[in-house]
Amino acid sequence: MNRISDDILSKVEKPARYTGGEFNSYIKDKEKIQIRYAFCFPDVYEVGMSHLGMKILYYTLNKREDTYCERVFAPWPDMEKLMRENNIPLYALESKDPLDQFDFLGFTLQYEMSYTNILNMLDMAGLQVRASKRSEEDPIVVFGGPCAYNPEPLYDIADMFVIGEGEEVNNEILDLYKEVKAEGKGKTEFLRKVCSIQGVYVPSLYDVEYNEDGTIKRFYPKENGIPEKITKRIIKNFNDVDYPDKFIVPYNEIIHDRVVVETFRGCTRGCRFCQAGMIYRPVREKCTAKIIENTDKLLKSTGYEEVSLTSLSICDYSDIQNLVFAMVEKYEKDKIGVSLPSLRVDSFSVDLIKQIQKVRKTGLTFAPEAGTQRMRDIINKGVTEENLMESARSAFSSGWSTIKLYFMIGLPYETEEDIAGIADLGQKVVNEYFNVPKDVRKKGLRVNLSTAIFVPKPFTPFQWEPQIRMEDVNAKIRVLRSSIKSKAISYSWHETPVSYLEAVIARGDRKVCDLIVKAFEKGAKFDGWTEYFNFDIWMEALKESGVDGDFYAHRKREYDEILPWDFIDIGVNKAYLIEENEKAKKAIVTPDCRLGCTNCGVNINLKGKCFEGAVSN
Amino acid sequence: MRYLIKFTKENEIKYVGHLDLMRTIQRMMKRSGLPIIYSQGFNPHLNLSLAQPLAVGVYSGGDYFDAPLEGENDELEVKEALNRVAPPGIKILEVSKIKEEEHKKVFKSMAAIDAASYRIKLRYKDVSLLEREMESLLEKKDWTILKKSKSGEKEVDIKPMVRNIDFRIVENLLIVEAVVSCGSKENLSPELLAQFIKTNTSNCDEDAFIDIKRNEMYGDVDGKLIPLFRYVKII
Repeated sequence: MNRISDDILSKVEKPARYTGGEFNSYIKDKEKIQIRYAFCFPDVYEVGMSHLGMKILYYTLNKREDTYCERVFAPWPDMEKLMRENNIPLYALESKDPLDQFDFLGFTLQYEMSYTNILNMLDMAGLQVRASKRSEEDPIVVFGGPCAYNPEPLYDIADMFVIGEGEEVNNEILDLYKEVKAEGKGKTEFLRKVCSIQGVYVPSLYDVEYNEDGTIKRFYPKENGIPEKITKRIIKNFNDVDYPDKFIVPYNEIIHDRVVVETFRGCTRGCRFCQAGMIYRPVREKCTAKIIENTDKLLKSTGYEEVSLTSLSICDYSDIQNLVFAMVEKYEKDKIGVSLPSLRVDSFSVDLIKQIQKVRKTGLTFAPEAGTQRMRDIINKGVTEENLMESARSAFSSGWSTIKLYFMIGLPYETEEDIAGIADLGQKVVNEYFNVPKDVRKKGLRVNLSTAIFVPKPFTPFQWEPQIRMEDVNAKIRVLRSSIKSKAISYSWHETPVSYLEAVIARGDRKVCDLIVKAFEKGAKFDGWTEYFNFDIWMEALKESGVDGDFYAHRKREYDEILPWDFIDIGVNKAYLIEENEKAKKAIVTPDCRLGCTNCGVNINLKGKCFEGAVSN
Repeated sequence: MRYLIKFTKENEIKYVGHLDLMRTIQRMMKRSGLPIIYSQGFNPHLNLSLAQPLAVGVYSGGDYFDAPLEGENDELEVKEALNRVAPPGIKILEVSKIKEEEHKKVFKSMAAIDAASYRIKLRYKDVSLLEREMESLLEKKDWTILKKSKSGEKEVDIKPMVRNIDFRIVENLLIVEAVVSCGSKENLSPELLAQFIKTNTSNCDEDAFIDIKRNEMYGDVDGKLIPLFRYVKII
C-alpha cells in the first residue's frame, strides 16, 4: 500500500483527486477475493468519474464476490511529477495498492487523444508499455470502449480487447481466468483460451501482411482454432441488464455531478458521419417503469439533487413525454431537477425542455451539423430548415434568447456554398427572433455558431473518405467568417491539428502503434487538453517512427481495400455502409429506420431484435 | 425546528474545500430521509449554515452546521439517521435542538461562536533550541506578524486573540495546543498562528506540511468557554 504523504498532497492542485474514500466506493477484504481488477480511465479524476460506462462496470464487477474492482485515473501532471520524484508507483484509489499487484488492468478507450495517457499510466505503474515486452507475471492489460472498434493502433499495448458492451462478457472472462489460474497456468495460456469468447480480440495471436503501397494484404490468425472474425457483444435483454443501484458520490465536484440513467442503447437516425449510430445498433429500450425504478434507487443512495436521462438521441425514446412528465411530477417535492442532454432540432424537444426548465432559461443547443439542405441530406441528418426555424421560433417565444448551433466543416462532398450556408442559417435564426413580437421575446439575442472539423471514423459510411487538409480548413473558416453579417451572431471554431491526429489514429493500422509509443516517449500526454497538447512532439514522432500521417488522414480508400478493422463484425453489413456512402454522393436521404427497416443487417447478423422493449415505433 | 449538528471532518478528507464540504453535507442530509426544509425561490436548496469554514488541508474533530427539519425530531434519532448515510470522512457526534422561539433571530451557529481550539503540528529539522525558543516566545508581550489578505498586508498583534496556548516536543515535532478567538467578531486563523511560530523559531522544516486539527468550537457564557453543542442548550 502506498502512503501518499501530506508533503506531496498539499503541494498539488485538487488533492482530493488522489485520496479516494468517497461515499459508496467499495472497500473489500483483499484476503477474501480472488481477482483484483483495476478499472483505469486515461484522463483526470473529474472526467473519468463522470463516465457512465465506468460506473456500470465498477458496479457489475464488484457485484462478484470473488472480484475487487478499483479505480485508477491519470494523475494531473503536477501530481505525476511529484510521484515520479518520490518513486511512488501509480496506485488504485480504493486500496492505494500499486497497479502491478492487480490481475487485470482494464482501460476504457473513449477518445483517441487519451491514448498517450494510457501509455503514461502503464509507465507510472512500472510496467513496459508494449505488451510484447511485458512478462508472464505482469497484469493482463485489457482495453474496451468505443475506440476499441479499431483496436489496431494499440495492438502492442493491450494483451486483449473487448469489443462491444461489457456487462456480460466481463463475467465470462473472469470465470475463465479463475479456471485457468486454478490449473496453475499463466497469462499466455489464458490469452490463448480467452480468444474463444465472443467479443474478445487477442492481437498477439494475429499477424498482418502489407502490400507495397502500405495497404493491408492479409490479416490472419497465427494458429488454427483462433477466430477469424471478432463479433461485437450486445446485451439482448437490455431492460433487465444490471444497472447500478448506487453511484460513488465524490467529495469534490466532477463534470457530470448527478444521477444518470440510461434509457436506451443504439440510434435509428443513421447519420452518415456518426460512429456511435452504427456501432451501438440495434436500438434497445428500457421500459419507463424500469427507468423510474433505477432513478429512485440512485437518488436515494446518493442524495443527488439532479437526474439526467441519457442515450444517443434522447427524444427518440418511444415513451419520452410520459417519462419526463412522470419524473418531473414525482421528484418536484424533493426539489430534484430532471435534465436531458444531447438534443435534436425539433419543436417537440423545445416543448419538452420548456417543461423541465421552468425557471432558468439558459442557452439552447441545436446541432444541424451542416449549413445547407443538400449537405444535411448528404450526411443524412434528417433535419430540415423548417424544423430548425420552428424550434427557434418556439424557443424565442418561450423566453430563450441564446441559441447555440453546432456544425461540422470538412464533410465529404462539401462546397463553399455549404460553408456560406452556415452563416445563412445563423442569419435566418436571427430573423426568426425579430419575427417574434417584441413583448413576447426576451431581450439580448445571441446566436452562437460553432464548428468542429470532421474526422472520418471506422464503421461509418464515410470510412473510405479523406479528411480535409488543414489549409483547406483555414480557407473555409475565412469564408464562413466573412459571410457573417449580424452583430448578434458570434462564431467560435478551432483549427487545431488535433483533428488531424485523431484522423490518423482513428483509422490507423498496426504501424500507428509505433507513432503512439514514440509520441509518449517524447513526452506527449493529456493531448485532449489544449494546455498540454504539443503538435511539435507529434510531428517529430511522425518523422522518427516513419509513419506517414497523410496516408491515414487524407487518403481516399477503395471499397475493395482491406481496412484495418475489417475483421471486426459490428453486425452492420459492409455492403450497407457502401450503399450509404453512394447515396451520400447523390444526396439521397435514408429515412429513420423506425419508419421501416433499412436493411443494415444488425438484427440478422446478431440475432437481436430491433426496438426491443419499445412501446411503439 | 433547527438542529445544531456537531461533526468531524476526518484527516482523510482534509483536502475537501468548504463548498465541496457543504455539498457533501447536503447530499448526506438528502440521503438520510429526514424531513428536510428547502428554501423558497427560484433555486430551492437546503437551508443549512456551516460554522467558520476550515481551510483546505485542515481537518476537524469538532465542527458544526445547523439545519432546519420539519417538526420535532428526537436528537439521537437524527444523529443515527445521519451516521447511517455519512460518507467515510464525516462522523456525526452530537445533535442539539436549537430553541428558536427564545430568540428573535434564528440561531445560526456562525454567530454564536467565540473561540476554537486547535492542535498544530510543525516539523523541525533540529529541535535542540526549540524548547527555549518557545518558552521565551510565550513570555513575549507583543506577537506582531504581517498578515496578508486580499486588501493588502498589515501588521497585527495576534497575542490578544490567543486565549490559551501550550506546547510539547515529540521527536522532531512541535505540537501546539491552542484556544484562539474564532467567529465574526474576532478571528485568528490557525495557519497564521502556525506561521508566527514558524518565523519566530529556528530550524523549522520549510517544505513540511503543517498538520492542523480543529478540536472544538465554543460559545461564551459569562467569560467561560462552553462547547457549542452544550452552549445552545444553556442559552
